[in-house]
Amino acid sequence: MNGMFSKVFDWVNHRLPIVNTFERHLSKHPVPKKVNFWYLFGALASVVLIIQIVSGIWLMMPYENTEEGAFASVEFIMRDVEYGWVIRYMHTTGASMFFAVVYLHMFRGLLYGSYQRPRELVWIFGMTIYLVMMAEGFLGYVLPYGQMSYWGAQVIISLFGAIPYIGESLEVWVRGDYYISGATISRFFALHVVALPLILIALVFMHLVALHEVGAGNPEGIDIEKYVDEDGVPLDSVPFFPYKVLNALVGIGVFMIVFSIIMFFFPEMGGYFLEKANFEEANPLSTPEHIAPVWYYSPYYAMLRAVPDKLGGLIVMAGAIAILFVVPWLDRSKVASIRYKGIFSKIALVLFATSFITLGYLGTVPVTESRKLMSVIGTFIYFGFFFLMPFYTSLEKTTVPPERL
Amino acid sequence: MSNPNTTRRKVLIGMTAAVGAAGIPFAATPFISAWNPSAKAKALGAAVKVDVSKIQPGQKIQVSWRKQPVFVIRHTAKSLESLGQVVAKLDDPESLNIEEPYRGINNTRSKSSEFSVLAGVCTHLGCSPKYYPEMESKPWDNSWSGGFFCPCHGSMFDLVGRVYKGVPAPTNLKVPPHFFEGTILTIGEDGGVV
Amino acid sequence: MRLVSILFLLTVSSFGYTAGGAECGDYGDCDEFVAQLHDNSSLQRGLNTFINNCYGCHSLQYSRWGRIAKDLDIPETILFEKLVFDPNAKSGDLMKGSLDKKSSEDWFGVAPPDLTLVARSRGSNWIYTYLRTYYEDDSKQYGVNNLVYPNTAMPNVLEHYQGKQVLGCKQVPSYASNGGVRRDADRNIITKEECGHLLLTENYGKYTAAEFDTMIFDLTNFLTYVAEPVRADRERIGWFVILFFVVFTALSYLLFREYQKDYH
Repeated sequence: MNGMFSKVFDWVNHRLPIVNTFERHLSKHPVPKKVNFWYLFGALASVVLIIQIVSGIWLMMPYENTEEGAFASVEFIMRDVEYGWVIRYMHTTGASMFFAVVYLHMFRGLLYGSYQRPRELVWIFGMTIYLVMMAEGFLGYVLPYGQMSYWGAQVIISLFGAIPYIGESLEVWVRGDYYISGATISRFFALHVVALPLILIALVFMHLVALHEVGAGNPEGIDIEKYVDEDGVPLDSVPFFPYKVLNALVGIGVFMIVFSIIMFFFPEMGGYFLEKANFEEANPLSTPEHIAPVWYYSPYYAMLRAVPDKLGGLIVMAGAIAILFVVPWLDRSKVASIRYKGIFSKIALVLFATSFITLGYLGTVPVTESRKLMSVIGTFIYFGFFFLMPFYTSLEKTTVPPERL
Repeated sequence: MSNPNTTRRKVLIGMTAAVGAAGIPFAATPFISAWNPSAKAKALGAAVKVDVSKIQPGQKIQVSWRKQPVFVIRHTAKSLESLGQVVAKLDDPESLNIEEPYRGINNTRSKSSEFSVLAGVCTHLGCSPKYYPEMESKPWDNSWSGGFFCPCHGSMFDLVGRVYKGVPAPTNLKVPPHFFEGTILTIGEDGGVV
Repeated sequence: MRLVSILFLLTVSSFGYTAGGAECGDYGDCDEFVAQLHDNSSLQRGLNTFINNCYGCHSLQYSRWGRIAKDLDIPETILFEKLVFDPNAKSGDLMKGSLDKKSSEDWFGVAPPDLTLVARSRGSNWIYTYLRTYYEDDSKQYGVNNLVYPNTAMPNVLEHYQGKQVLGCKQVPSYASNGGVRRDADRNIITKEECGHLLLTENYGKYTAAEFDTMIFDLTNFLTYVAEPVRADRERIGWFVILFFVVFTALSYLLFREYQKDYH
């Protein structure tokens, strides 16, 4: 039986590079031997991606992508489809966890200078993934066609209207109708289910290919390939399989505990993961008291509301995301990791994180005068982190990172 | 790298793999169960009730159950007596080749001695056979003793849905689960008591 | 790194949890309601109240009769005998209600909304408070108004149980600026008059205030159940899933550490 298996295996391996790929990317792929928990979030992000795809496919089966049927079909999934509620909650929890994990993954990049040479392209692919994820989340949220789906879509699509000259026609073109209707739902459905996931998968693949080409970073921000053994393998590395796979497995286990606690006990998360207004069917004649996007968009929503002008708000919001793409070229520091950067970078990073979270909170609550002021300050700090980076990273005194891990 | 404790490693790998594998059927359950008929399907596929007291002897009515036609025929005493005469022409007069839920109770093949309850779906390719109860010469059979003729490919069945020899249909018309309560016939459920 | 974490946590923890100021309209914060989804008798009483007082106008269009019978442990024959007034209704049917939408829109100005999900869209606290804060108001169409939902188009259907409430003034304890209760020399609480309070005319309605509260509790309990019938199951299954992952994580951690010996 064993001999038979190896014969078949050899036949396949001769025609498809199974062993080669396994060695190159797993059992002989060197990764830094000492990293911390911040380095788990990439693996967790791919786990969530798989969860979203599988649960998403199953949700598509009973879902009706029409104006009349959408909302009822979601309740139908929750009540009439056997274990439909598991699949629905899996998908909504997964959506929020996807962003939570990705935000932490991005923060790791800022902490340890993962975007620095030669990993700039990994960073850019990553930022593109983030952008596509935001679109994907928005499109998906419209599909249940509750009050927040409708009015959130109304707000976001009206942003297109802010663009000079072509704005109004662009709104109609995006909607496929003079107002949000079944035409909008069915096209958003196609984009959310096929187009963007395909793009996302392709981008994740490129992100990993680019990463494997140059190798992973580490918390010290040093280049482990400086010291290699006689076979050219970095001394401070271990093969990815089995060591880092086992490490990732523990991380995945802990993640699944958190995921399950949320999914089975707090799926609505106080209205932050599943907004209360969305348990009411879309009503074009009645606007909810507070229109708020889901929590992962709220920092940008706060920025949008901080700017009094519609087009200005749109530019600031877009700029906040665009600036992330060029971080590799803004960071002029001689060292990569926050551990060895100067006091300016440390303060800047703390201020940035604080402002992002504060803006996130402000985006979820109604506007008041003092809150508006805080949003403006927060926006300035956010942009200041990036615009001033070339200066404070080159001027500050850094310390010397170690030679070895 | 000092001597790795291979036994400990094997045990740990085995245990972790076992726990992981044990979780797989539970994780798969929601996805597999979600394909079962939903409460909506079950509601739509629920049993239908019919009052048979209005049916005339010799008459056939058609009722919809699970999007299929179901024939309810009230036989005359004469047509029931004639059932024995066609046996020679039939492929499976005792309904041995199919699942026959109420075998041997009545010659109507149903729970009633007067009514037949038959799925109006030809066992060849699914057309709906037509009811010709008159015992007279027909284009498809000179000595027609009454029964069903399927217009699609010419299959023939007797008055209680038993298939003729030499026709495209392989088996007798199926009898759906049903029960009678007075004059109310419920199609789709067994009713428990035989 | 420690400095970073401390500054971080300080800022984030300073937010507190603001669930949105006056959620219950002119009443202020909603009264607290804690669901008892395992209390079948409470749910059954709530179902009874709903069918007899609310189902005439409000549908539960996503809920099916048979599911309620099963979840609340009511034999279907009894449910259909006592609470289902449509002779053609079957176990699997949706509870679509009896009111025609167009006509009801003409009569009330707005069609009485479907209530299947109201416990999730408005919240159970809201419902529990709303149904107890009607008061007499001659300026309104039906002679009543509601503190939680001012100018509601819904009449006070449960008035004959609760009795009439009016907005009046009563004596309340007065507070000093440090939050303490003011007292006079004899340690008696100093009161002041405060208006805008609900005052119940006792013994006018069929139930006492406490009995009425229980009735509304049961009704809110039922509505909480019907908004998510699977909730009790969800929490039960959740324990097992979490336990599984705890065991799995523990084992994989041991495995990881065992292999880490190779390079640590």
